[in-house]
Amino acid sequence: MGSTDKPADLETAKEVPPPPKGAAYGSTPPPPKHDYFFVVDVVLRFLVFAASLTSVLVIVISKQTVHLGPRISVAKFNHSPAFIYFVAALSVAGLYAILTTLASLSVIWKPILSTKFLLHFVFLDVLVLGLVASATGTAGGVAYIGYKGNEHTQWQKVCSTFDKFCQHVVGALATSLFASVLLVLLVWLSTFTLHRKIPK
Amino acid sequence: MESQGQYIGSNSGMDGVDQKEGKVANQRKTGTCESILRILAFMLTVTAAVVLGVSKQTEIVSVKIIPTLPPIDLPATAKWHYLSAFVYFVVANAIACAYAAFSLVLSFANRGTKSSLGLVIILLDLLMVALLFSCNGAATAIGLMGYQGNSHVQWKKVCNVFGRFCNHAAAAIVLSMLGSLAFMYLVVLAALGLHRRSK
Repeated sequence: MGSTDKPADLETAKEVPPPPKGAAYGSTPPPPKHDYFFVVDVVLRFLVFAASLTSVLVIVISKQTVHLGPRISVAKFNHSPAFIYFVAALSVAGLYAILTTLASLSVIWKPILSTKFLLHFVFLDVLVLGLVASATGTAGGVAYIGYKGNEHTQWQKVCSTFDKFCQHVVGALATSLFASVLLVLLVWLSTFTLHRKIPK
Repeated sequence: MESQGQYIGSNSGMDGVDQKEGKVANQRKTGTCESILRILAFMLTVTAAVVLGVSKQTEIVSVKIIPTLPPIDLPATAKWHYLSAFVYFVVANAIACAYAAFSLVLSFANRGTKSSLGLVIILLDLLMVALLFSCNGAATAIGLMGYQGNSHVQWKKVCNVFGRFCNHAAAAIVLSMLGSLAFMYLVVLAALGLHRRSK
């Protein structure tokens, strides 16, 4: 069925462009609607890119040097494997977001294979959602211990000393949380559009 | 499955009816696969929550209170609710397993109908994916901290003392990761089903 329907899909997709040239406006209402979807998609993807870029930058520049009496101690993100994972995961997410923004833009210009694009967007978006959510959890877990400390394991809190560093981490966490919420919205939007294309 | 439907269609003359039958059988198979995945996700998350929830280890630790005196032996206990990340992990897994059981009922109610209940199920599945992945991340980060320690902030490792507890935590994290993959696969499966029907 998949092999037989593919040409049909291509045909219908190729039939979509003519209406703007011709004067037939009332006969084809659906195409403008789904173009509208891809505009929202592009905006959301660009926001994901912006959020992940912001959070990577905020945590990378968060170096803080504190003079504790005679000795100097430095807080940097690469002192903890959790923050290294966070930076790597959000860099990957940002790269993915900018690439798929371009892909989505290409769909707006040439609406061929738009359902296929939607399906692949769902697969990849869910993967990236897992990546961003796990990165947020990882950094959040370590940041919470740094903020509160833990008396059972004798882990002292460090945010009382490195206040600026901790503020940067909190900012990065907030933006990555925002990015994961956007990714949930993106996946849901794609599935919603797929659902709307089901013939009644 | 699709080729089978076509095969039946070409075998007998009535194309439309047989294709419809093939589609119904296809949907039924997808529904069975979905139910199995939901049961699997339920079992994995409930096992993860229980494995970490029951783990408790008491060890005798020698503590030096005053540097001049010899160290004193004290019993120390490791429990899951001493670390906030593990609390989050257990709670998130409990929520996920409750949702898995609930969604099994919902998916039975949704079967065969064309209502928008399917979209709500997908949204909730997505939220579970995000929740489980973040709790896995948090528990892994803290588990790694316990396993290796961090020399920059003088957080000492604890897994050399509480080895059994750390093994329990690692097993729970692996189980929960498999559970979150099951939820992820559910979303993918639902999207595939929608894509197939949207033609």
